[in-house]
Amino acid sequence: MGFKNKVAISKHALRLAFTDKLSWLLFAWLLGAQWTYGQELNPLEGDPRAARVGGSIFRAQCATCHGADAKGIDSIDAPDLTLVYAGTGTSDESVFDKIRNGVPGSIMPAHTFPDTEIWMLVSYLRSIGVSGISSAVDGNPDLGRTLFSNNCAACHRKGNEGGALGPNLSKITEVRSLEALISSIRNPSFSISRGYKPVSITTSDSQQIQGVIKREDAFSIQIMDTNQFLRAFSKMSLKGLEYEEQSWMPVFSESLLSDTELRNIISFLQSSL
Amino acid sequence: MRNTVKYSELIATSWLVISCAAFGQSSVGPNYEDILNGFSDPTRWLTYSGDYSGRRHSPLTQITPDNIGDLRSIWTFQSGTTTRGRGWEGTPLLDDGVLYVTGSNNYAWALDARTGRPFWEYRRNLPDDLTYGASAPVNRGFGMLGNQLFMVTLDAHLMSFDRRTGEVLWDRELADYQIGYSATLAPLILDNKVIVGISGGEYQTRGFIDAFDPVSGERIWRFNTIPGPGEPGSETWPNDPTILAQGGGGTWMNGSFDPDLNLIYWGVGNPNPDYYDENRPGDNLYTDSIVALDADSGELRWHYQFTPHDVNDWDSNHMPVLANIEWEGQPRRVVMVGNRNGFFYVLDRVTGEFLLGEPFTATTWAREIGEDGRPVVVNDGSLGCLPDPWGSTNFYPPTFFPGLDLFILTARETCATYVPEEPADTRGQSNFGGTVFIDAEAGYGALRALDVHTGQLEWEFRYPSPTFGGVMSTASGLVFAGDHEGNFMAFNAESGENLWHYQTGSRIWGAAAITYMLDGLQYVMIPSGTTLTAFALKSPN
Repeated sequence: MGFKNKVAISKHALRLAFTDKLSWLLFAWLLGAQWTYGQELNPLEGDPRAARVGGSIFRAQCATCHGADAKGIDSIDAPDLTLVYAGTGTSDESVFDKIRNGVPGSIMPAHTFPDTEIWMLVSYLRSIGVSGISSAVDGNPDLGRTLFSNNCAACHRKGNEGGALGPNLSKITEVRSLEALISSIRNPSFSISRGYKPVSITTSDSQQIQGVIKREDAFSIQIMDTNQFLRAFSKMSLKGLEYEEQSWMPVFSESLLSDTELRNIISFLQSSL
Repeated sequence: MRNTVKYSELIATSWLVISCAAFGQSSVGPNYEDILNGFSDPTRWLTYSGDYSGRRHSPLTQITPDNIGDLRSIWTFQSGTTTRGRGWEGTPLLDDGVLYVTGSNNYAWALDARTGRPFWEYRRNLPDDLTYGASAPVNRGFGMLGNQLFMVTLDAHLMSFDRRTGEVLWDRELADYQIGYSATLAPLILDNKVIVGISGGEYQTRGFIDAFDPVSGERIWRFNTIPGPGEPGSETWPNDPTILAQGGGGTWMNGSFDPDLNLIYWGVGNPNPDYYDENRPGDNLYTDSIVALDADSGELRWHYQFTPHDVNDWDSNHMPVLANIEWEGQPRRVVMVGNRNGFFYVLDRVTGEFLLGEPFTATTWAREIGEDGRPVVVNDGSLGCLPDPWGSTNFYPPTFFPGLDLFILTARETCATYVPEEPADTRGQSNFGGTVFIDAEAGYGALRALDVHTGQLEWEFRYPSPTFGGVMSTASGLVFAGDHEGNFMAFNAESGENLWHYQTGSRIWGAAAITYMLDGLQYVMIPSGTTLTAFALKSPN
């Protein structure tokens, strides 16, 4: 261990001591002797204390831009960090490097934290990363494929097939829990993501158009209509503009889609079919 | 032969005389009197707000509510540098047909104001271990005096350039960037003084306002925004030199100046840590205040604190707007501030006397200012959400429209819950002391015009999201503003009716427009994203 690393870890230990985390001090000191900067694996991997302290660092250093829930703040282009690992193959090392070096030309700065603290942040981000459905859902993916084609594919895509009105579901099981997926199918209006919020438009010639909002500003609105055409309108030219609360997606109650059928669909989404 | 020699000598002598005459006419640049005269020469824009008052109200009238439909872009300049997540926050200066512009990451240029073509470019070589005391690598513009330009840097230096070449004349450290100091504002140029402030209130820093000699680069005075032990104001802090030495109080936005009173007006930022207050009981002067300083000595003449004992990061780094208005039947010299805490204030700028404080957003933090000039706090956050840390407005400039007596600003309606947490002792790292939960669905922005006599809303124009665009007005009855969706817009100052808009392609963040005359044409200019765009009428006559 180089002198610089020793100094960094000593400073770090003092900081932790200051924040009443003495129990962590010895652990960090001992671990500090075992790694050097730039290694690929997180030396704190699997230790719940690292994620806990990392959370504390995150709230103090990162939450202002990335949000207290780490889900990002759109208005300043700060990304959702709960998705850092979701289905992307992102490594701990690349997350470490991003924190260390920042993103040039953005408000994401480089950080001079000791390596230990950055690995703690990595541990924290691992711990809050959405993990999707961890085990295989008990269902028949072949039957699910047919159900998906008949009920979902008009608006949703999996792989190379399907529509674009709703979110692409190719990797959805990697970023949503089983409960969240079931809730989205049974009660689609409960939470509608940005980019899919429903709108009804009446044009100057009284044409009725329904769609989802892609973007809007004070003067114009950009939508995908329910026929999946991208369309844009000057707000001034419209006779009507209604922000709907109910999603265009049908409510798939148990009478329309049994629990078994639902599991088959999710099983298909999990599969490589 | 003799005659020939004489003739040659004559030619040589004549050339020398002509040359000297030509060199003698070389540019000397604007002096203090020129800046003092503000908008009287419409071919110039010599200081951040166009004049010392901070009103950003131009007397130009070629572009009117009737012809603004013909406003079109004339040229654009691409900076090649950006601050993703923020914007291009600078105000260009203009003299003799040349624009002097600063950009993100301490880039700077001299541009031909007629075409946007550059004469020179400068880029500072910033240290690898730059701290982010300014939260973002932005810059708000040059100061100019004679043939010198002045720019502050992200590593907390003040630099002087030769405006003709972009060559560095001198470079002085303001403070140690490794602790968290940084600088982003446009220097305020007075008679033989360069006034600057400092960023870093989210770090363990102590804010200050400095005056420098423009020629020698030597510091003339410093005003510390956090008093030292035993100094006036220290009684509003714990009796602990360590806490005072890192109490925050950044001064990262420009100030304004009253030459008759010889007073500088400057906003002071949040106490440190931002949200966690266990170690700093008291009002924490002079954080979240406006200070009036003697320009010669830097001595404090008066102060007014908008948010005593702030726990919401509601810096008061706003452009103080100076005007002489009738107040209860008497002429009064006032300073006006639209504050991050959601209140619009009018103060007597001679004495600092509180005259008016009215909310301009739906904030539930307080709804009135008591007779003692202090806010009557009715919701500390436990009774519902509060304006977010970016506040009900922010540093981006407002405008004052004389005659209509309207104070026009960009307001932000937001909803945030603050959760303080004891911070670590993190010198050189940001030190917020907690986290904030923001309800992203609840926010929106609006351009709002307030009657300066009552603070009441006269008109508004809403934007879909909370906005960081600044405002400028012209005597022809126009208000120019930018929004978060990238629109650069013009409004009827009297009614608030939107008259014109142009989609710039990137959010307008922190910047406000400037306007000037060149070759009989009125230009309007706004930076957005990486693009500086100049507009003018198609057929001005």
